[in-house]
Amino acid sequence: MLWYKSLREIRTVTLVGAAAMAAACVLIVFYQQAMRASADASMTYIAYIWKSVYNSIGRDIFLILSIILGSGGLLQERGHGTSGFTLALPVSRRHIVITRAVMGYCGVLIIASVPVLAVPMASRYIGEYYPVAQTCGFFALWAACGAVFYGFAFLLAHRLEGDYIAVLLAIPSLMLYGLLINLPWLARLPMLNIFHVINGEDMPFFNEAQHLLAAPFPWLSLAVMLAVSATFILLAARRIQPLDF
Amino acid sequence: MIPDRVIQTCELTKNYGSFRAVDHLNLSVRAERITGFLGRNGAGKSSTIKMLLGMIQPSSGSGTVLGYHIDDPKQSIEIRRRIAYVGEDKGLYGYMTVAELIRFTRSFYRDWQPDTERRLLAEYRLPPKRKVKALSKGMRTKLALLLALARHPALLILDEPTEGLDPVSIEELLQTLVSAPANGTTVFFSSHQLSEVERIADDVLMIDGGATVLDMSLEQIRENYRRISLGFSNPAPQLQSILGVEKMRCDGRQISILASSNADAIAQMGRDRGAVDIDVSPVNLREIFLETVQERNRQDQQRHLEREDALV
Repeated sequence: MLWYKSLREIRTVTLVGAAAMAAACVLIVFYQQAMRASADASMTYIAYIWKSVYNSIGRDIFLILSIILGSGGLLQERGHGTSGFTLALPVSRRHIVITRAVMGYCGVLIIASVPVLAVPMASRYIGEYYPVAQTCGFFALWAACGAVFYGFAFLLAHRLEGDYIAVLLAIPSLMLYGLLINLPWLARLPMLNIFHVINGEDMPFFNEAQHLLAAPFPWLSLAVMLAVSATFILLAARRIQPLDF
Repeated sequence: MIPDRVIQTCELTKNYGSFRAVDHLNLSVRAERITGFLGRNGAGKSSTIKMLLGMIQPSSGSGTVLGYHIDDPKQSIEIRRRIAYVGEDKGLYGYMTVAELIRFTRSFYRDWQPDTERRLLAEYRLPPKRKVKALSKGMRTKLALLLALARHPALLILDEPTEGLDPVSIEELLQTLVSAPANGTTVFFSSHQLSEVERIADDVLMIDGGATVLDMSLEQIRENYRRISLGFSNPAPQLQSILGVEKMRCDGRQISILASSNADAIAQMGRDRGAVDIDVSPVNLREIFLETVQERNRQDQQRHLEREDALV
């Protein structure tokens, strides 16, 4: 039943986050005409959706929510005075940390999955078309890239006590990463740039002219990202093991 | 099979940086009895309890609970499976309702007793649908107790259980604790309320500065501990400390002795040294506690003042 506790901890953020993501997707679709007219009239609907959902608002909401979902854990429980009750349960600390990590990542996946149906259905409602295969592809990119952000925030939350400290540190850290990754000698390794992998920008698997994902999909890179995230989580579990509560 | 000594520690020590919270503590708690764990604030009670539960790691020394080693993570899980703990802050998940928290806790214990759960739910008048965060402190304590007792633990550890409770709730709690050993549950509780300890405890364990200063059954304390007041017609003479003298205070023509045994011999010694007025009276736990910790308290205050002076 540890999963139930973790579910209750992430439920509100996940539901509010999913609702915010759905609202953002629907508003982006519904206001497409006005937005496209004011930005670039020649922009295709597909390009508009990519730029709005997968390259700006939707992606930013998703990444911030991934970081927020990663910011829970035993150290935060200590701040709330409930860690004593949790640690008195007949389960190992590793079990507690891993369960929280898995449930939190489920929250990330739920939020990432919102555009999968919201964008095509809203598009259909206004008489436009956006392929589900594309939203599924972006879901896979979000799931893997979001895992890195989530794992990083999770590790910070298991090193630093305080409700918002992990979030407050994760965001500038990732901005710094964004700056560093554009340094000339790192820019030669585009697959290291998660901000580009997540939306396909400058990537061989993305057709820049059509703004569509194209085969072959970078499964290996995505697997590496998931492995990096898992490493962050294992480091968090290791960090908690000897701590005094 | 529950061992005769449910808790045993050997030279158990905990350091927080340069501060030693628990100092080579040797304690032993007998099965199916109620043991009161006493000490000043910062005496090391909570640190000891947390070490027993595996929440903090001992710096050195060892300990067993129900025969399982406290410093082995796997055995620590077994300890937590068999015991129940009600913490000082009674921190429960505020986002769950009473019923949800009961269901959640129940899932971890195979020997959960639904009858006890139902009885205590009714007895404590806990509203199942109310969120834990909306409960009063007293209600939260009762809920924590329900969660602890419904699993029929071999050992119940409580850290300041009556803190923040109204007198009626305290009475109910004490009644619950008194009846626990009859059901095979050993109770080990820390408290500042000496009168409560005196009322329900079978054994008393007192620590100060992280070390044991008293480990006795209440019956032995009642039988052996005495206050001996010696009155002299002239300024009181210097008395030698003989067996049983715990504390001796000289004030003009009066000498006050706290004796842990041998009261008759001590009174006789006073008589031999010319005491004209000898009064031997029983002492309560409060007096023993104050006598035991007061001197150290004074030393601590002195040290603190000296440190402040040095800083100035």
